[in-house]
Amino acid sequence: MSALAAEVEKQIDALLAAPTFSLEPAVQQARLLRVLQTELTYAAERNERLRQYLDAWPTDYRTAASLADLPYLPVGAFKASPPLLLTATENIIRTLASSATTGQTPSRVALDSPTSRRMVKGVVVIASDFIGSRRRPYLVIDTAETLAGGGELGARAAAIQGLRPFATEMACCLSGDGAREPRIDEARLAAFAARWGAVEVLAYGFTYVIWQHFVQPLRERGLRLQLPNIRVLHSGGWKRLQEQAVTREAFAAGVAEVFGCSADRVLDFYGMVENVGVIYPDCAFGHKHVPAFAAVIVRDPLTLRPVAEGQRGLVQVCSVLPTSFPGFLVLTDDIAEVIRYDGCACGRRGISFRFVKRVPHAEVRGCGNIETLRQRPVAA
Amino acid sequence: MPELVQQFDSARDVTAAAQRVRERALERELTPAQVIAMLERWGESLRGPTVDAIPGVTFLRLWLRRGTLEPMVVRELGVAGLNGEWHEEHSTRLRAYPLGVVGHWPAGNIEIQPWLSLSCALLGGNACLVRVPAGLTVQTRALIEKFSEVAGSGALLERICLASFAHERADLQRAMAAAVDGAMVWGGAEAVTEIRALPFPPWARLAVFGPRLSVAAMDGASWSEGAQRQTWCRRLARDVWQFDQQACSSPQALFLERCTTGDLPAFATMLAEAFEAENRLHPRASIHPALTSAICLARASWLITDSAHRALFPATPDWTLLLGAGAAVPSPTQGRTLSVLLVDDLREPIARFDGMVQTLGLAVSDPAKEAALTHAAGRTGVDRIVKLGRMHLFGSPWDGADLVRPMVRLVRHSPANTD
Repeated sequence: MSALAAEVEKQIDALLAAPTFSLEPAVQQARLLRVLQTELTYAAERNERLRQYLDAWPTDYRTAASLADLPYLPVGAFKASPPLLLTATENIIRTLASSATTGQTPSRVALDSPTSRRMVKGVVVIASDFIGSRRRPYLVIDTAETLAGGGELGARAAAIQGLRPFATEMACCLSGDGAREPRIDEARLAAFAARWGAVEVLAYGFTYVIWQHFVQPLRERGLRLQLPNIRVLHSGGWKRLQEQAVTREAFAAGVAEVFGCSADRVLDFYGMVENVGVIYPDCAFGHKHVPAFAAVIVRDPLTLRPVAEGQRGLVQVCSVLPTSFPGFLVLTDDIAEVIRYDGCACGRRGISFRFVKRVPHAEVRGCGNIETLRQRPVAA
Repeated sequence: MPELVQQFDSARDVTAAAQRVRERALERELTPAQVIAMLERWGESLRGPTVDAIPGVTFLRLWLRRGTLEPMVVRELGVAGLNGEWHEEHSTRLRAYPLGVVGHWPAGNIEIQPWLSLSCALLGGNACLVRVPAGLTVQTRALIEKFSEVAGSGALLERICLASFAHERADLQRAMAAAVDGAMVWGGAEAVTEIRALPFPPWARLAVFGPRLSVAAMDGASWSEGAQRQTWCRRLARDVWQFDQQACSSPQALFLERCTTGDLPAFATMLAEAFEAENRLHPRASIHPALTSAICLARASWLITDSAHRALFPATPDWTLLLGAGAAVPSPTQGRTLSVLLVDDLREPIARFDGMVQTLGLAVSDPAKEAALTHAAGRTGVDRIVKLGRMHLFGSPWDGADLVRPMVRLVRHSPANTD
């Protein structure tokens, strides 16, 4: 390991060991800036194409005064083939792919052992702050086939695996082979519910999978479980549910109804493979927070500068965790609103934000009928 | 004042509106010369805070001048046509008559396009039913309010119906198509295909201006030498800035012919300065986040794809220069993103053009060479070859087609008392 690599490793571990949500924001930002500058130097040494991008950036990352001045990659850059790597291919132990819809190219990020290890640790320290660190029975609202990805893991499987450190045992309650729609494995689900009853258990599924393949079928059949102490985590976005006019409140109420728990035990989190190891669960006030080893910058689409509190913009995620791919600073295609830059009533320090929506795809059409491009931008 | 952009909610409303403007047009004939006089007065009135900020309004004022419209009508319909008269041709005579009601489906990203489209059909004596794209309602209303204030505009106004309804309302789209005798359709491939498939009457004539893109090209002398190159850079910046590089006549790529004295980094710096200056003069007021994303992705993709690529851009999404080499026309990003590509010979990219390229903006110092390039471009599908800085000058023909004549019928009269 080179001296620079060792320095990067040391700095990342220090941030991972720091209090997850209680660092004073200015202190956290300063520490993060230093680590990310080191990581960018490390990345530039390892990838000529990336170095070229960093060199073209209008400001020099080595002398940047704030996180917002550092060069970021748009999320679409992770669709590049071959994927952007900062490590030799023989060091790659797993590739994660995003959940692209039909016809779209998924993002791909390659993990080496150190990145994979940090990814697990990152999810654990964040999730522990919301659900506690105790291990418990883990109900996966998905099929076992989803997890059988071999060397390449999809977004659903990655999220399921990310919560595995919280599991004493794991049960998948849907069945299906990918060719047909998943169906509830009633025998397995009933056995799980009967066995664990009032025990605190963890459940996770993609938002639309939970709704479409679990809540709706159970409701249609009038089936109710008795798992009052369950914690249901879900992620994957709201687009499909919005198309069905399902609100967050209706979703939480529906999930609570079928599990026989209260709606506040249903927890939505935001995450993406390009930002692996960082998840953003909702706090009790419905806001998302950022751990010590990461940052979120919400940028005004007009200027790309950070927006003020109460304004909306494009989400940039920052993370010190990856060293096998350049996922330190990623401009996403998501829109979020900054609630506050510090002082959320939940007690967590730093930025609190709310995910608003995915940026709609804009087609280049010449004198085309691209009406949406002339509508008011989301940034106030 | 009545609502000048009408909100429609039923097919019956659309049909009735078409019938109303048809009747008004039948009640009173207007010759192209009379229409030109009214349009010119309207053009002169297009000043003031409500319209000055509308992108392209300066151009619209120029377009509506008699000096622009009259030669176009004379070229397409002849001198007799300008005055609504018969033109003698051997033993017969010909005269242009309107189709009737012309439906307009303008693109949603060019603020003045409803008016450019509308004016062409009005010159042919037609009544017009215009579907105003949702994003252009405010600007369109501001412009027609000015028109309504012009003395004597009533005869023209009463044959125009500006209709607003959701793009997704297929029933209203069908009703509009069924009620017109001709259509002027502007848009992307998807929009154009959808509109073509609407149930127009069998006699309806369609003028379709589909998706195109444009490119610029400079020979070695123009980009490598002298003070003139700074002027070319300013002209190119103007062409990129107009309509926010979203028009089909907007340059998406600039091909530079290699020469021994050419210094690409120096030229790129000069071009960047011109872009920066144009941006100071005409900063964006807003941008769709999807375009910002696309610009950021274009920058990154360009640089991480090939180690020979370079790029210049500010921290904002205001403009981008992607520098490299190659004769292929790159996929456009828009949003003031220009690919600057070195080629050995300008004939190389031109030979690779297809019908997608609408306009070629040229900066070429040698007239003979310009003539040869023009001929080559014409043969490969380009419809307009113009000087850099004039890529957006809307005129007839556009996309290789006349603008007034497609919306008129040439009626032949063979007098009964001739042999």
